[in-house]
Amino acid sequence: MTRSTRFLASLAALAFIVASCGGGSSSSDTTAPADDAEVEVQELTFQPIAAGKLTVCSDAPYEPFEFQDPTTKEWTGFDMDLMRAVATRYGLTLEVTVQPFDGIWLAPQAGTCDVVASSMTITDERAANAGFTDGYFDSYQSLLVRNEDAETLNSIESLTGKTVAVQTGTTGEAYAKANAPKAKIQSFDDAAAMFLALESKQVDAILQDFPINAFRATKQGTTTVSISFDDETEQYGFAVAKTNETLLSALNDSLAEFNSNGTYDAIFAKYFGAK
Amino acid sequence: MALSKRQKAQYLRYSVYTFSCLVLVALALFVDWNRLAGAMFRWDIVVKQFPDILTKAAKNTLIFTVMGFAGGLALGLLFALMRLSKIRAYRWFAATYIEVFRGIPLVVTLLILGFGIPIAFQWSWPNPYLRGAVPLALVAGAYIAETIRAGIEAVPKGQMEAARSLGMGYPRAMVTIIIPQALRIIIPPLTNELVLLIKDTSLISILGVTSGTIDITRFGRDGVNTTANATPLIVAGLVYLAMTLPLTQLAALMERRAKAASR
Repeated sequence: MTRSTRFLASLAALAFIVASCGGGSSSSDTTAPADDAEVEVQELTFQPIAAGKLTVCSDAPYEPFEFQDPTTKEWTGFDMDLMRAVATRYGLTLEVTVQPFDGIWLAPQAGTCDVVASSMTITDERAANAGFTDGYFDSYQSLLVRNEDAETLNSIESLTGKTVAVQTGTTGEAYAKANAPKAKIQSFDDAAAMFLALESKQVDAILQDFPINAFRATKQGTTTVSISFDDETEQYGFAVAKTNETLLSALNDSLAEFNSNGTYDAIFAKYFGAK
Repeated sequence: MALSKRQKAQYLRYSVYTFSCLVLVALALFVDWNRLAGAMFRWDIVVKQFPDILTKAAKNTLIFTVMGFAGGLALGLLFALMRLSKIRAYRWFAATYIEVFRGIPLVVTLLILGFGIPIAFQWSWPNPYLRGAVPLALVAGAYIAETIRAGIEAVPKGQMEAARSLGMGYPRAMVTIIIPQALRIIIPPLTNELVLLIKDTSLISILGVTSGTIDITRFGRDGVNTTANATPLIVAGLVYLAMTLPLTQLAALMERRAKAASR
């Protein structure tokens, strides 16, 4: 090889290595906030890991809580809209890092992001290693099945001997293991694989939070939510590092304000209709 | 007085040794070993990983590896011979297969064969082990085919000519003369492929794991989440090493034996 080709080849190799060093994908929000104009910017009481940005970890896409608008590629969804409102309230822009849900509540501690917004249920186990805000959404588990099974797979008992898909590390997985021990439980890394597994008949049902299943059922048409387990409700919370008291109080203050000034209701109505 | 070449080399060596010793001493003194141990190697967590990491996770990893390697070997041999065939259609088919399965990442192959094909053809995998091992075997087959082909081509042409001139047909010459000699050349890269396969089984969990089909990596990752500590992953890595080190040593041994035998 000539000198110049060798140089170019090593440049290319270096570029490859550098490009492949990215862990998850991240994108920032460069558009102006679309919600109510008169937002008074609060004093920045906490220290974000990246100056001027509120870095959020999320296991996306997870409609309707966190996903990208197909045309504008802007981060949207119930969680993302709330996070953007918080960011705007402190004069920051929103930056989103995507990573698998498994262990995502440990990410703020590891310094990957400031806060985790990923439809995360508050549990004692997680609260032992992360700081949770007050609950911001009530949810419960439900079963998503193929249309033809809607009448037959509509109770926990009907799952005996059937294969149920759950996402690793979620309360859905815990619920399935606790209440449906006779079912064959398959754990998946990400939600997309579960939907594929249901469609390819690898599994008979998906046990997952009701809003996700419901959204998927309306969007896809080949699946139905056969039953919701609304006797056991759970609350979603945003997670921060356990030691990050300042960010925690900032988030709780923001949530309290949104609850009183109608911001929360507006965002809720956008995705779930009027309460 | 100028230093002779030999003296220069000696001084360089001493200074490298001294520098390395200094680095080691610095590491020993300045690293917070307690904190490191607490974050990455807590004995109580290590003990909790056994015996399930061996009786369940390692067992499954081995099953996937053996199935993948057996299938890969069979396919590899088949496609290597096709690649060397006089019939152009065989050569072309084998070349395409090899390029496709070498060029696509294993994750993508797993997803396409695990979900894409069943959805497209309204068909289900009969068995979760097959679902993970068949894509693995297909990809391993592509790499092994190239290894075997290179091995066969490395056998001196004189061997085939001598065999043919003794009246042996092409198949008989291949099986009794060429392939046995090719094996000696092929075994080190093949053991390499086996080691890579053991590690590739860690990707199968994207297709969904049950408690019965869990592999070592998935076991380690679950452990990290339940204990909020990195120790299970370190243990998982050590279990992988325990499986691959004997293999690499065996490969080195076979290589030495082969070298001695061919003298």
